[in-house]
Amino acid sequence: MGKSKKSVQIVILLAIILIGVYAVATVVFGSDEVPKVGQKAADFELLGMDGGVHTMSEYEGKARVINFWGTYCPPCVREMPALQAQWEKWSSQGVEIIGINVGENKMTVENFVAQTGVKFPILMDPKRNAVASYGVGPMPTTFFVTASGKIDHIRIGELDLNTLDKQIEQLVNAK
Amino acid sequence: MSQGPKPLIQNTKCDCGHQNPTGTVLCEACGKPLTEEAEAQPILEMRYDGVARRSQKVNPGMIDRVWNFFSSVKVAIYLILLTLIGSSLGTIFPQESTFLNIDPSVYYKEEYGQLGHIYYLLGLSHTYTSWWFVLLLVMIGASLVICSLDRVLPLYKALSRQRIPKHMSFLTRQKVVYQGHVDEDGADWVERVKPIIKKKGYRVRTDGGTLLAEKQRFSRWGPYVLHIGLIVFLLAVLGRNLPGLHMDEHMAFPQDEPVHIKNTSYYLLNDGFKVEFYTEDDMPEEFKGKNKVLPKEFQTQAILYMCEANCDDFDKKPQLVELTRHNIEVNHPLNYKGLKAYQFDYDLTPILRSVSPVLINSKSGKEYGKITLSIDDPQREYQAGEYTLTLTQSFTDFGLGDNGKPVNLSPNPNAPAFLFLIKGPELPKEGIQYFYFPKQIDKERFNQEAINAQLAGGEALVQLDVRSMDDVDFSESTTYLNIRVDKAMPFIWIGCFIGMLGLIMGFYFTHRRIWLRIDNQTLTLGAHTNKNWFGLRKEISAILKQMNIEVDEKSLENNRGTKHESN
Repeated sequence: MGKSKKSVQIVILLAIILIGVYAVATVVFGSDEVPKVGQKAADFELLGMDGGVHTMSEYEGKARVINFWGTYCPPCVREMPALQAQWEKWSSQGVEIIGINVGENKMTVENFVAQTGVKFPILMDPKRNAVASYGVGPMPTTFFVTASGKIDHIRIGELDLNTLDKQIEQLVNAK
Repeated sequence: MSQGPKPLIQNTKCDCGHQNPTGTVLCEACGKPLTEEAEAQPILEMRYDGVARRSQKVNPGMIDRVWNFFSSVKVAIYLILLTLIGSSLGTIFPQESTFLNIDPSVYYKEEYGQLGHIYYLLGLSHTYTSWWFVLLLVMIGASLVICSLDRVLPLYKALSRQRIPKHMSFLTRQKVVYQGHVDEDGADWVERVKPIIKKKGYRVRTDGGTLLAEKQRFSRWGPYVLHIGLIVFLLAVLGRNLPGLHMDEHMAFPQDEPVHIKNTSYYLLNDGFKVEFYTEDDMPEEFKGKNKVLPKEFQTQAILYMCEANCDDFDKKPQLVELTRHNIEVNHPLNYKGLKAYQFDYDLTPILRSVSPVLINSKSGKEYGKITLSIDDPQREYQAGEYTLTLTQSFTDFGLGDNGKPVNLSPNPNAPAFLFLIKGPELPKEGIQYFYFPKQIDKERFNQEAINAQLAGGEALVQLDVRSMDDVDFSESTTYLNIRVDKAMPFIWIGCFIGMLGLIMGFYFTHRRIWLRIDNQTLTLGAHTNKNWFGLRKEISAILKQMNIEVDEKSLENNRGTKHESN
């Protein structure tokens, strides 16, 4: 009698703890909310300029700078050369710069890339799936993601080119 | 393990010989008050019939301490009060979730000043999804479960094992008491009164000169049934966050294009949209003559598909299988296995999808051939008769940048434009450049002919032109639907229903008990109910009247224990 009572008590308390932890965890690390600094960067699956399908997981272990852009957004166009320069500098040191074009067709993107001579990986998000999962509002928006896949910093609007280099350096040193 | 406080009463054995568990207030068998506290009460506290709560132990361990914390009603009340205060804090300023696309770190400061900023910094701008608020809800749930278990089991036991003979002091310390003289033998009197009480709907058991009558015991389970309902409700609310249980999205559906519904394998197609407007005559007075356009009714002819293959393929079209068709109107959503699509809004701006212009000779009007241009995703190369057209640039929303160069203003097909390199007979070897604007309005706005004359150095020999409206494919309208999945909802209703059942049981029914014993021709009657004492007194006085005992209803009331006789 006493023994079974005790185990029933323990089972009930454990169930409450489990439900409690789950409930608190889901609201704290909100599932469908806009990603915040410190959270894991969302996964994506997008067609690249090279014709292949690219996912977030293939950049695992690299510090990532993910830039959402469009040819219709002048500041995005303005900061492209700087991103290219940073990519040339850092790509040998395990940093990947990824440009995600929002909503445009392949030809527009191809022409733009050819014109500006951008060499870093460009992915296309015509249906705005990645835009939704990253909660991108105004453009450009740039996500600085650490090698372990955590969002280290989110820049909404044009990048500050004077501090971009330092920012990437910090990102490489961030854990 | 720490030693708990020393219990007040070591010996829990009653005079009647029954061994009671620790914490018992009234003897489980005869009802005699056991604690000094109960002994001092003029009227007995009948809560849970005086049985020990489940968790009352002599030496509580760690688990028992946690259990006891949650099993306290006082703690439950504090938790409810804290939740009440917390949830009212969340109503001071609008919650973040009520806005679309704001940066809360800036918004609250701008909109509500320093106070607003403090509100945001405290995390109160998302009160209901904060860890402490959800934790409070979970703790209330825990307290509900543990409080109920701790009380309902002993109560059930006590009520199902009631003994008929009760201790004198138990009877005389009830709220309704009668003592009087009877002339006959106790057992005979009890036998005579039995059918009379039965007639009032009581279940009656007798034991010699003692009697126990009871009715509507189920009313005592009301609060616990209510608690079960609340627990189901709480679990359903917490479970809403489980993947696939809840979705609430607003999506655009251009006509004739199946659109994938995120995180599901469903596709929904807007197969046609109808809208009817009020005529000037139908308009209410206040709108007449104001050029107001009021829609009377609008309807999306929707088809829901399930994707069977190539769903996540980038180069292949998904294979869709039709599931159901429904004409969605306001308040008449499409509903398929819990997926609901509500009519939300519409936009009658046509969206160009593709054009099929013909390449003609500018002078003779001779047609060379037709090409089909997709606005969204054009090809690079086209063939029209002997002419090849190479698309060098495409724009969805043509405009001129600051430097005078053509730029794309947005990814929306507002002003599509295409720049071709055309090669073929009678044209220069390197070909000519040719700008094509599918929309007539853009042709004029950007002066297509002048641009092309400039590019070709004189009038272009060939040009693209759409012959008829059949060669233009556009989506006539876009409908906006609110896609909802809420699989937790049925559980919320079930919880509400169970809770209501509990409330009805507890509120509309009263648990009444009458005990009586006859010792040496003295009748002692005690009665207890959980509410409506007036009705109980009336019932008892009517019963006694039938036994030729005239008693005023009022006098049955045991005023602060005046009827208590010490034995």
